[in-house]
Amino acid sequence: MSATYQLALQQLTDSALPTGAFAHSLGFEGYIERGLVGDAVTFSTWLHAFLAQQLTYSDGLAVRFLYEGVDVGLLDSVLSSQLLAREVREVSLKMGGRLLEIGGEVFPSAELDHYRDLVREGDAVGHQPLAFGVIARSLGVPFEEALAAYLFATVTSLTQNAVRAIPLGQNAGQRVLRDAHDAVAAAVEVVAQLCWDDFGAVSPGLEISQMRHERQRARMFMS
Amino acid sequence: MSVHSPAASPDVGGRARFAMPSTPRPPSSASADRPVRGRLELCVSVRGGRSVASRQFHEGALRVLRPHYLDQSGQVCYVIVNPGGAFLGADLFVVDVEVEAGADLLLTTQSATKVYRTPGSFAEQRMHVRLGEGARLELLPDQLIAYREASYRQNSRISLHPTSSLVMAEVVTPGWSPDGGVFRYEELRLRNEIHVEIGEEPRLLVLDNLLIRPPLGDVTGLGFMEGFSHLGSLVVVDPRVDQRLADELHHVAEEHGAYTGVSLTNSVGGTTGLVLRSLSNSTDDLQNLLGSLTSVLRERWYGQGPVNLRKY
Repeated sequence: MSATYQLALQQLTDSALPTGAFAHSLGFEGYIERGLVGDAVTFSTWLHAFLAQQLTYSDGLAVRFLYEGVDVGLLDSVLSSQLLAREVREVSLKMGGRLLEIGGEVFPSAELDHYRDLVREGDAVGHQPLAFGVIARSLGVPFEEALAAYLFATVTSLTQNAVRAIPLGQNAGQRVLRDAHDAVAAAVEVVAQLCWDDFGAVSPGLEISQMRHERQRARMFMS
Repeated sequence: MSVHSPAASPDVGGRARFAMPSTPRPPSSASADRPVRGRLELCVSVRGGRSVASRQFHEGALRVLRPHYLDQSGQVCYVIVNPGGAFLGADLFVVDVEVEAGADLLLTTQSATKVYRTPGSFAEQRMHVRLGEGARLELLPDQLIAYREASYRQNSRISLHPTSSLVMAEVVTPGWSPDGGVFRYEELRLRNEIHVEIGEEPRLLVLDNLLIRPPLGDVTGLGFMEGFSHLGSLVVVDPRVDQRLADELHHVAEEHGAYTGVSLTNSVGGTTGLVLRSLSNSTDDLQNLLGSLTSVLRERWYGQGPVNLRKY
């Protein structure tokens, strides 16, 4: 065993972690409806855009700032105001809430208690990347490893959802994931270089698809 | 807000006189690192049933035209002019706007904001806006055009009361280059922070952050501009914003045929934000769409007709 946190990190980023990730497309369902995503290649294009934009400028930066000691309450409020598509904001809270609950049961720490208290008292709402960041940091996971694990876990659940929704073959899904390795590593590098003013800069195309999903008639996903 | 600017008294014709400050201005954080190319300060209050500038100051390459009253509502309209015609490298423009309780301001520009080459640097506009109780601001600038090798940052910080009404619309073009190519600029950053003044310290309601850096990768395709060239954006913060309004504006946008998304922000202190993004292939299409959307709000909330500036 290379590090004491290894198994904890695996548990935390396992796609079977019951946070409800299976219920969300975070906007790709709209691309399927418009006929722009329909196979492994086009899904990969979307996935890489999502990784380079939303997961880098929003989630990734949130985890980094948390690791750098920025107040979790401040980050929580900035995330709430920068996630402009309502459904995506709600997903972050829903999955964040589950993660805080699970974390409280299996990875308790003073830092996690602090964030849970803020949420309980209404001073924060509990966002997924922050809940993850607080737990990972309390377990002693180094930042880059934590961020890569978080990004790849998100990429994995989105790909599993695409396998069901498009549908893609199971092996095609695995190839999509393998192709995402370099992009995850690149995203970790980019996150390290960004600054506060970059926080929340998400491309208009992704945002529009996430917003339009609210009014999409036939849908499998909650976002 | 600056407290150092001298008062400008409107004369009988409604034209404001401008005065240079009588004392040297202390260096602010805005001017500490780079020279200010233009500064504009405007405070609007209600006098005798209509909105007037109660304080006004300008220096350098920014000024406003004399105020207009486009209808009988009492709303005052100011047009910002950049006599230099464009932003160049390292140019910093600072705009401070205050709309006092109950006052009503329509703020626009005389022409498109053009950002020329800014080699090794960037042009910047910093805008501070404060809206008082029941105050209203419609911020409707012309489109933004970034030329080849241009970098531009626009930072707007807006603080408002839960009873204030804010409407801001913006169109970002793919820019201009001599060979007709698009997205040849270096970087565009348009960052709006909207805070609600409630309790002891203001609470952040909306962080609307747009960052386009064409040299770093393809911004035209799936997941970014989706094959379109122009981006339109509308942000509304008002206690009357609700899901029904969002749905209605969505339908107006659908009739225009632009690829549009609209969603509500959180609510803070009884007020809510609405954010709309739209992609299209021309400035005119987006200006028409944004005009239709703002007209719905003007008619519904104030009984006003569409904005008609006749500036061309």
